[in-house]
Amino acid sequence: MAFSRTLIFTLISAILALIIVSSSLFTVSETEQAIVFQFGAVKRVERTAGLKFKLPLVQKVVIYDKRLLDIESPPQEVILQDQRRLVVDAYAVYQIVDPLKFYQAVRSDNGAKVRLNSSINATLRDVLGGTTVTTMLSKDREGVMQAIRSKVNEAATPLGITVTDVRISRANFPESISQSIYGQMKSERNREAAQFRAEGFEQAQQIKAKADRDRTVILADARQQADILHGEGDAQATQIYADAFGRDPEFYAFSRSLDAYRKALGGEDTQYVLSPTSDFLRYLARPDAPKSTTAK
Amino acid sequence: MAWNDKGGGPWGSPPGGGEPRRPPSNDRGGPSPNKGPNDFEAILRQIQDWLSHFPGLGGGLGVLVLIAAVLVIWLLTGFYTVGPNETAVVQRFGALARTETLGLHYRLPAPIETVTIVDVTSRHQTEIGSLSSRGSSEAGTMLTGDSNIVELGFVVVWQVRDPVKFVFKVADPDDVLQRAAESAMREVIGQTDVQRALNEGRGEIEISSAAILQNTVDRYDSGIQIAAIQLQRVDPPGEVVDSFHDVQRARADLEQARNDAERYRNDILPRARGDAQKIVQDANAYKDATIAKATGEAKQFISVLEAYKQSRDVTARRLYIETMEAILQNSRKIVIEPNADGKTGVVPYLPLPALNPPASPAKGQ
Repeated sequence: MAFSRTLIFTLISAILALIIVSSSLFTVSETEQAIVFQFGAVKRVERTAGLKFKLPLVQKVVIYDKRLLDIESPPQEVILQDQRRLVVDAYAVYQIVDPLKFYQAVRSDNGAKVRLNSSINATLRDVLGGTTVTTMLSKDREGVMQAIRSKVNEAATPLGITVTDVRISRANFPESISQSIYGQMKSERNREAAQFRAEGFEQAQQIKAKADRDRTVILADARQQADILHGEGDAQATQIYADAFGRDPEFYAFSRSLDAYRKALGGEDTQYVLSPTSDFLRYLARPDAPKSTTAK
Repeated sequence: MAWNDKGGGPWGSPPGGGEPRRPPSNDRGGPSPNKGPNDFEAILRQIQDWLSHFPGLGGGLGVLVLIAAVLVIWLLTGFYTVGPNETAVVQRFGALARTETLGLHYRLPAPIETVTIVDVTSRHQTEIGSLSSRGSSEAGTMLTGDSNIVELGFVVVWQVRDPVKFVFKVADPDDVLQRAAESAMREVIGQTDVQRALNEGRGEIEISSAAILQNTVDRYDSGIQIAAIQLQRVDPPGEVVDSFHDVQRARADLEQARNDAERYRNDILPRARGDAQKIVQDANAYKDATIAKATGEAKQFISVLEAYKQSRDVTARRLYIETMEAILQNSRKIVIEPNADGKTGVVPYLPLPALNPPASPAKGQ
């Protein structure tokens, strides 16, 4: 029994030692930072990760996130400089850089979110109120976001917060005017469609007219060439005839006339009233043979 | 449980008033640090209870053996494996100790060291603007550069470039990535005309939004690498979709009109060239034929002339007689004997109407 009692005593003291050691140690993760309080007063800030010591019972620890946190501001309608309305929402990425200030100013993450949200909303209205839809729909959107970021960051510095980024996510026209946007889109599309169809007609006409013209030119060129060839042929033929016939024009007239008679007068529809005394029929009436072939 | 209430212990939750500590979101390694010690305590108590029932066993040594066994088992829980596509981030008392890659590794068991295993090679896909993602389809309704509206959905393909940053730098990387991606896409769409967004501009939108997104997550030091942004659908709003389709039809009409015109051109121009060739060739043929005919006739004439020169009278007469023969062969002929005084005895009366009807006016002699 005595042995048993020592054992129980040993066990209890071991457990007590464990409790004391464990309540005087705490860990800070890489993702965290801690403030150590002593009787409610800030004793120190632990910014590096690792195993840390504190006085048991006397000191308490509050741990804050060291990572980038994000927050989304709800959509709100803002009026731009050109009196147009946009429904805008944004998100912010922020970090608790000064836990002490953070603890003093907002204490909890929720408090910080409320403060940040109102700051973002106010800045959105403020900055966007000085821009136009055209700016929002251009390269300058990045600049607008930068302006918002630096303003929100400025407002957040007293809270121990650095705002790494504020970006506009949605920037749409309000639902109430979407019908007129649709109307505008329709009319734009109709205009585009009409233009395409007209351009189609235009291009088709151009191509057809060009083709017709080309055809006309091709044929005219060919006819011109043909006429030249005809002329050349006729000229050469005339030349050849002239060269040949010029050798004896008299004989040409004779033989060509005979040919012409043959063709012009040789038909069956021609009637001849002939006299036997004609040169052609002279042997018909006088059957005497010629005296000699050489006399004439 | 009483231990936790005393606060600040390495295994307990922080004191009241502070935010509850969140374990790293991707913690998949090892037993949770909150559970182990409580189990340990419970086991010790059980052993104590059990021993009190058997006081006579002289269990002092037995208890020590039991404690040693528990210690060994506890130490053995420190083994863990890292897969081929993973990296393990080891923290000792919360501070970054080391990273480990593929293989079997040992860490001091919880709560001394904890392990977070991060998948570093897999490509994660985050869908945005689809009907299944957060919010309604409103999330995918975006304003274009020409104040039109498109509905689009896209997928961000990303992977972990730096596991340490990924684990430690951003509290909720998925959420931040989603918001940043939507913002980047809206920024790009806000500078793109609706027709480009719907048609040929898609590749450009994917590239420039991915660049903006990468830039943004780099600014957050998030350790995220954006592999690509892929547009899933880009549609005009339902109310105006017909008008957009009509534009497509009009484009098709334009193409068709042009094709028809080109078909017409392709039809008539070769024909015209063919016709032109024919005209030219015909003319060539005429030219050649005319010259050939002239040459032939000239040669014939010259031959005849040569022959004629040999004996002019005879040839002339022969030609004359042959011609007359040919002329009179087929014609109707009347031969009338004249009187002695040289006048004809009959009145040469020609019955003109009696001539063959189709004939041309008769030629009298």
